[in-house]
Amino acid sequence: MSTITVKVEFGGGLELLFGNKRVHSISLPSFVPADNTIAPSSPQNSETPQLAKSDDPPLPANGPNQDPVKGLEETKEKRLDVQYLMHYLRSRLLTERPELFMDGDTVRPGVLVLINDTDWELEGEGTYEISDGDDIVFISTLHGG
Amino acid sequence: MASCGNPIADDSALMLSRPRFDKGKHCVKCKLNLGNIVIRHAVYCRDCFTPLVIVKFRRALEPHVNANAGTSKRPKLKASGSLVLGFSGGLGSAVLLDLVYKSYFAGRPPTDENGDPRGGINHPRNVSVWTSCAVCYVEVSSAIPEAHERTEEMRSALASYPNLKFIPLRLEDAFDESWWCRMTGNPDMSQLTLELGKDGLPTEGLNLAHSSNTLSPKDALRAFLTALPTPTAVSRAIQVLIRLLMFFTAQFHGASHLVLGSSLTTLAVSLVSCVAQGGGHAIREEFQEEWPPGLSPGVERGGSVRVVRPLRDVTMKECAAFAWWNGIRVPGRPRLTRVITGIPGLTKDFVVRLEKDYPSTVSTIARTCAKLEPKGTSVGECWFCYSHLQGGLADWKARISIRSHPNLKVVERLASSSPADSSVHPDQTSRLPPLDTHLCYSCITMFTSRSSRKSSFAPPLIHHQDMPLPRWVKPQDAEEAIPVSKNGELWVRSRQSEKECRESIADFLLPDN
Repeated sequence: MSTITVKVEFGGGLELLFGNKRVHSISLPSFVPADNTIAPSSPQNSETPQLAKSDDPPLPANGPNQDPVKGLEETKEKRLDVQYLMHYLRSRLLTERPELFMDGDTVRPGVLVLINDTDWELEGEGTYEISDGDDIVFISTLHGG
Repeated sequence: MASCGNPIADDSALMLSRPRFDKGKHCVKCKLNLGNIVIRHAVYCRDCFTPLVIVKFRRALEPHVNANAGTSKRPKLKASGSLVLGFSGGLGSAVLLDLVYKSYFAGRPPTDENGDPRGGINHPRNVSVWTSCAVCYVEVSSAIPEAHERTEEMRSALASYPNLKFIPLRLEDAFDESWWCRMTGNPDMSQLTLELGKDGLPTEGLNLAHSSNTLSPKDALRAFLTALPTPTAVSRAIQVLIRLLMFFTAQFHGASHLVLGSSLTTLAVSLVSCVAQGGGHAIREEFQEEWPPGLSPGVERGGSVRVVRPLRDVTMKECAAFAWWNGIRVPGRPRLTRVITGIPGLTKDFVVRLEKDYPSTVSTIARTCAKLEPKGTSVGECWFCYSHLQGGLADWKARISIRSHPNLKVVERLASSSPADSSVHPDQTSRLPPLDTHLCYSCITMFTSRSSRKSSFAPPLIHHQDMPLPRWVKPQDAEEAIPVSKNGELWVRSRQSEKECRESIADFLLPDN
């Protein structure tokens, strides 16, 4: 199973919600559940991808070799995207006040997201498929004047 | 997304989301680079975005620099005094500080081959527009429960901007006699208070009194905020105190300009919440205002001060991107807890959400409010917030107020709500005019509105029968307070007791039997 390493940065005060740490390096599987389900974390390392448990949809053994459309539909999976990353951050790294980070399935209004130094509105927002080495920044604009 | 039908029954009823940008992904300015940011449906690359923000900043500030506009289309910039920058630690303040410093105070200008200043003599970096710049920060931790001091954090944030003076203030300075004495040079230590009813809130008449209590400035501030009736009133009061503390400080330091870091988004929030709190008459001052010399009683030093918001055309999103891409450190601003934000907090939530889905509406709010003209003329200044005082307020309130009640028990209960024990001598009370005729409508609302929800603001530290007022609240001269009609007649208003009122209409009253 291939993994993707992504660098996540927080600014504008959002780092306070993530253990006061601005930069995180996260490794995630290249194929993730389509419903953004996050498996419970293991005690050893919370920033590494977790193996699916028995009650979760089985992960493909050799994902890249399958017919991507047919395989994904059968297992209800999708390629790792920004939306899944946000759910992962909320489940695993957020230490307090989740409502200040996310609102439903997207970021809270007032949070600017940059994907490789580009506004995520130009990259398809939550549907942007993350590649290895991407740099994603979440900046809060709610500090006012 | 908006819909015109039932999406459960009909899949096509759900309207498709509108694309975030109008044209392609290339920059609309240079048309060469791929875009990096979307600003109100327009795409800009990073190289074009930063100069765009700088141009907006200069376009909003520079027309107000010179005391007189003059006839030249591009006059040489020269202010009549120094510059004071209001710094809250927030995003807009941090961006404004960086722009002001780099544009006007960043050191010696580069020269060309001939040794002349590059860019011409009118370029901001070559002309000393202001004599000096001071950054003013108001510490509000005394007013916010469980907040910690941030003055030193702000001081350290300014370390990367040498040549700027740091002026730390505290919110409780508004109640500090030594601070006021320093501002005015007036050794008068008296302080006015508002009488409170049995419910601990100001009475309807807003009766003034001389205070005989000696509270510390911090305790006076807390007593003042605790006696305010609603969370909205607390938010507004803090805002007014900060604004006036900065104004008096700017005037004391001989500043000709006070610049604030309100972005377009925060400006839209303040405009809507200002109208919602009854401040529509002063809506033009939310954009820009000028305080002439001698406006404040006792403050003789300094000339006029122009309050300018140079980021009023820059949205919060643009500020965030500008700060990130230029490595600007944003210390952050203490967020008022939800319980004391009231209408401003609700308005901010609404406008920020609106901006996310409909980014052009924020500028529409600002443009529409800029066209508004208050009805009627100003008859003076509000004694509390120094905004324009509308004429005819007392008459209007009398017309909309219910003055009688069919239930006698209610009447008796209201009549007995006056303070049982006052720390003020009756003779002193009668000499002071009531405050309600000298306050603007939004300040009257701030003191007298009642909320059905119990305020969960910090419990009062000290129980008092009166509410301390800021030091600048002083009865104006009697001659200045007398309104003059168009034909030169002088009108003097004085409060009548109930007995005097009854005697004046005795001939028209029906007998009680």
